[in-house]
Amino acid sequence: MLADHKSDQSHAEGKKAEWQPKIIAFLCNWCSYAGADLAGVSRIQYPPSIRVVRVPCSGRINPYFIIKSLLEGWDGVLVSGCHPGDCHYISGNLVARRRFAILKEMLEFFGIEPDRVNFMWVSAAEGERFSNMVKKVTSAIMKLGPNTQFARKW
Amino acid sequence: MARGNIGEFFLALKDEYDIYAPVRSSGNHVNFKKVSSADEMTLDYLNTTIPPKEIWFPRVETLFEYEIHGQDIKVMPPRVSNERETIIIGIRPCDAASFRLLRKFFDYGTFKDDLFKKHEEKIALIGLKCNEPKKTCFCTSVNGSPHKKEDFDVALTDIADKFVVEAITKKGENILQKLSFLKDASGADLEKAKQSAIKAEQAITAKFDVNKAANIVNDNFYNALWEEISTTCLGCGSCSFLCPTCHCFDVVDENDYANHRGRRIRTWDTCQSTLFTLHTSGHNPRPSQKERCRQRIAHKFCYYPNNYGVIGCVGCGRCIIDCPVNNDVRDIIQKINKIKTTQ
Amino acid sequence: MVTAQEHGHVLESKLRTVASELLKEKKVDLIIGYSKGTIPQRSSPYIARNPADTSNFIWNNLGYTNLAKYLLAKRKKKVDNKEVDLKIGVVAKGCVGRAINQLIVEKQVTRENVVIIGIPCNGMIDLNRIYEAVGTKEILDIALVGDDIVVKGRGFEKKLPFNENINTLCKACKIKTPPITDVLIGESNNLPIDEKFQDVIAFEKMPANEKRDHVQQLLHDCIKCGSCRQACPFCYCKLCFVDQNKPVWFNKTFDMNDILVFHLIRSIHLAGRCVSCGACYGACPIGINLNELTRKLEKLSKARFDYVPGMDLKTPPPMMAFKLDDDQGFILEE
Repeated sequence: MLADHKSDQSHAEGKKAEWQPKIIAFLCNWCSYAGADLAGVSRIQYPPSIRVVRVPCSGRINPYFIIKSLLEGWDGVLVSGCHPGDCHYISGNLVARRRFAILKEMLEFFGIEPDRVNFMWVSAAEGERFSNMVKKVTSAIMKLGPNTQFARKW
Repeated sequence: MARGNIGEFFLALKDEYDIYAPVRSSGNHVNFKKVSSADEMTLDYLNTTIPPKEIWFPRVETLFEYEIHGQDIKVMPPRVSNERETIIIGIRPCDAASFRLLRKFFDYGTFKDDLFKKHEEKIALIGLKCNEPKKTCFCTSVNGSPHKKEDFDVALTDIADKFVVEAITKKGENILQKLSFLKDASGADLEKAKQSAIKAEQAITAKFDVNKAANIVNDNFYNALWEEISTTCLGCGSCSFLCPTCHCFDVVDENDYANHRGRRIRTWDTCQSTLFTLHTSGHNPRPSQKERCRQRIAHKFCYYPNNYGVIGCVGCGRCIIDCPVNNDVRDIIQKINKIKTTQ
Repeated sequence: MVTAQEHGHVLESKLRTVASELLKEKKVDLIIGYSKGTIPQRSSPYIARNPADTSNFIWNNLGYTNLAKYLLAKRKKKVDNKEVDLKIGVVAKGCVGRAINQLIVEKQVTRENVVIIGIPCNGMIDLNRIYEAVGTKEILDIALVGDDIVVKGRGFEKKLPFNENINTLCKACKIKTPPITDVLIGESNNLPIDEKFQDVIAFEKMPANEKRDHVQQLLHDCIKCGSCRQACPFCYCKLCFVDQNKPVWFNKTFDMNDILVFHLIRSIHLAGRCVSCGACYGACPIGINLNELTRKLEKLSKARFDYVPGMDLKTPPPMMAFKLDDDQGFILEE
């Protein structure tokens, strides 16, 4: 479970703009992680809301990771891989795409807000695009507020 | 007590007691829930789907909590709210008997389960005798009866417009003293109660002898019967979860790594699951459904009588109604009885 | 038009004859079907090992168990001192037949070892609906009379129209006879698959918090007994995710989230495989309406992948394949 963000929550009361969501980002090593790295090297500013977990391929991502992240209290999940056709392992992201599709449909069926779990394709050259996506996701999740519904209570 | 007095019953007792009563949900499902007024409950039911064992043996219980500070681990007792005195009203004789049976397990010689005893001390049973046993009830075959009152603290008998109320234990007497609206029962009332007792016992159709089953382990442990019975069993565990006397549990640790704390909990478990007896070596002494089905029957009808002197089944029939593949314990016992003694 | 009662009656006698023949000619080692239950509201899965046993087979719209589940156990016999797989006949209604096909595609069952005795199903009675009508009284008899279900108990008798009181899944079912059969009792009553899933689409349009409240209300009584999992022919993992402890995916408490996660992950595992047989719903001792989840899975498979599980032995199921042009409308764009 995420460390108690009691201090975050006292800020949140009345000062919602100051609350920074905690978003876990699963980035594939070859494209998306490199793209995020490029954004960093290019000094592109984006909100410090994501915590990156590097995976070899988006196909490695088990839907359980995403569900467990929500249970542990993460406010949002971001999953990024290579563009279809460009996967370093040829078909990893194609397998993952179907998996993510059904995961997203079932998560939404169970009432998890669609904006909390996001999937995207970012290539190693798309540093600026990566930062724009993170800005977009962060502001969407800030609108939703902290994840209190699905976080496991202690 | 008149039927209409149930409301006053609540008013008199709810400040001092937590009251659990049968509450109707969809279909024919009635379950014991904590209620605060008479409108929420019903005494017009046959038996609950989930047995009341979850009141004295909750589905999840924290054994202890711990915090990790560097190399030190601090173990703390569970954060439980102070339990109030509890009354369970409307419980049937079979379920009340299960309370007594579980006491044998959780309070045996030097083995005393503190958590169970904490619940047990605070519980009083205001039981409702059965006037309409189901076709699947077989309490009379396991030393029970639809009008058995010895396991109650207070016994209620439904005689249509009234209930005959009788204190059985000291705890029961204390409760009745708080109910000022009770009137003395008339001779006619008592006669009606006696008649419904006789009618109820006669209404039980499932009758069989369980004594032969008490020797399963010695006589018929390897009989082909077990293979036959277990072929269609799914190992779902519905029978264990809904059985008032089943009490096997699993102990697991739940960790909150980020905050360096955790707790150890115990939860209901079922011997019908493959993993129940799986050793860390990989060996499983009950590898197939055959062994597991045999275990359940043997535990209730052989091990319990041999160890504790009582039959480990109360004849409520929930396992019969809820088994998805209609494995029927009455059939199984009767098949055991038919095994020729010369093996 | 044959009444519901006649439908079952005719099939029952034909089935017994066919089953007896199969066993006599030793085309199968045993046949799995349904026999009369010891309580009025359930039929019992029954194994016939010789022709005389087949007189116990019945067909009465109370057979909720998906018999394909029993094909997963490795049953062998000894022939000339060698262990050989048993040849098993299954009395298969549409969904059971589709489950068998899907299990063959998933390599859990060998086609040569199973004899599919197809039977045209007209729906299973929804017990929870019957309970709703009857209340807390005990049911002493359920029978089909004409096109009605007649439920009797102590001091009451209720007549409920058959077509309205079968399982929601059966009402929408189009593949009522197995698509592949070795023997067919009677005639196929399959219809073209043209389901629109209005109920699921309407639910999906609700805002997230309303969906969440509805699902929580649906599942809040769940005791996580696992009966739904055990009854499902597609839950055959040697170590279920529930029992994994390296790492622990979700906890064992009855916190709402722990209950939801069980059903969420089980649904995800069944995507593109569930044949909407309703065995999970029939097995649930609490009476939770799992049909809502099943309908969603059915719609997901058809709408997203145009796939109906178990129709043939060649088409790869959606989660065992991918296409370069798969839909990616859910992927975030800038």
